[in-house]
Amino acid sequence: MKWRLMCLATLLLPDLALDPFRGGLAASLRHPLGTDDLGRDALLRLSLAAIRSLGFASACALLALALGLLLAWQGRRFIGAWSALRSLPPLLFVLPLSLAVGGLSAWPLGLLLGLLIAPHLEPALRHRMDHLRHSPAWAAERTLGAPWNSILRRWWPWGWQQAAALFPSAWISALWGEATLSALGLGPGPGHDSLGRLLAEELPRLSSDPSPLGWAALFSVLLLAWTSVPRPTV
Amino acid sequence: MGWLVWGLGLALAFGLPGATWRASAPPVFPWHTVGPTLLAITSMALGAPLLAWIGGPPLTRQRPLALLEAPPDLLWAALVLALWPAAWGPPELSGWLVAFLAASLPGEVRWLAQAMPTEYPFPLAWGASAVKRVRRLVLMRLWGRWLAARLPIWLTATLVLERVLGVPGLGTDWMTRVSVRDRAGLTLWVLGLALLWTLSQVLDRDLA
Repeated sequence: MKWRLMCLATLLLPDLALDPFRGGLAASLRHPLGTDDLGRDALLRLSLAAIRSLGFASACALLALALGLLLAWQGRRFIGAWSALRSLPPLLFVLPLSLAVGGLSAWPLGLLLGLLIAPHLEPALRHRMDHLRHSPAWAAERTLGAPWNSILRRWWPWGWQQAAALFPSAWISALWGEATLSALGLGPGPGHDSLGRLLAEELPRLSSDPSPLGWAALFSVLLLAWTSVPRPTV
Repeated sequence: MGWLVWGLGLALAFGLPGATWRASAPPVFPWHTVGPTLLAITSMALGAPLLAWIGGPPLTRQRPLALLEAPPDLLWAALVLALWPAAWGPPELSGWLVAFLAASLPGEVRWLAQAMPTEYPFPLAWGASAVKRVRRLVLMRLWGRWLAARLPIWLTATLVLERVLGVPGLGTDWMTRVSVRDRAGLTLWVLGLALLWTLSQVLDRDLA
């Protein structure tokens, strides 16, 4: 979870400088994947786009986790509603909505993804919350009337452990949600460079004239997908 | 409570805010894609349980299956686009079917394998034929609930694949009706999804 949270800082990284006169250069020692149409080094652009996508997914996952916690803690009466919301994958909502409004910018998209992923985290969070609520330690905290700041201090490591177990699934949903939307041209505009945005540029060329950048972008997606698969426990 | 959410969804579909700047007619339902869609659903509805029957619950621990399941639908569509031989023409419905099965089958096999009860110590101790028989009975019980629960996920997968491969189908129909604010068509879609949810809830209760 820590490295994923560290990716949040990459959202503050500046854009690469444009140099249209050096656009479309072939791969060389100086530019291992060549340059894109606007003269940016393709390898550098791919790295920056990928790491920004990770940062964006981390922000969405944090939001989803916070909302999921709220649903699990306070929304016990609406379990049926969360179940109905869970029956539809987030992208089934977001794709038509984005088409209807002509594309979603970064922050509304992040908010929407967070809102739609939260009900999917709710059952697992509720299960963990129930363990906490029925534990003698929690009953003691309530009986003794411990102040919230001391409760938080004591229970923080446990909370962090539970969040760390659920964070990767929310993170990967947000990552692929944003990548799919951007790759289909319905995500944030050119101001928000991401892996999906890169794929949107490279997808039309893939069938006729695939570039090294297109293949590298596909390989990055595959690598990210494979590294997100949990290791089997013995 | 779930029905309240679906009621809100219906109300939203009926009173969808906004209007397109130029009024456009609602799209004609893509009847020509019903055949290939049924073929895809049948392949999935038979293929996934068959693989789960052969592999059983140990499939959930298979790393190759997890690695096949991990990539997003988008990657499969892009790979079909990139690797489709130019001599075969554009990857139309056949390309879509290949991408759909590649994107969805591993996940479905894992879903079914995860839903199957553990086989140790019984029926494993009773021998291979008992194991196969128990797997068959379990899969027959799971089949309806699995289909009802997973169809919206397949619709999402096909929506992405259709957009990348340029093959209009059911996913595109759902999306176009939102963009042209076809309230009647959307209401039918929401009703269909609500029906699937209800069916999965009822079958879930039966299984429990």
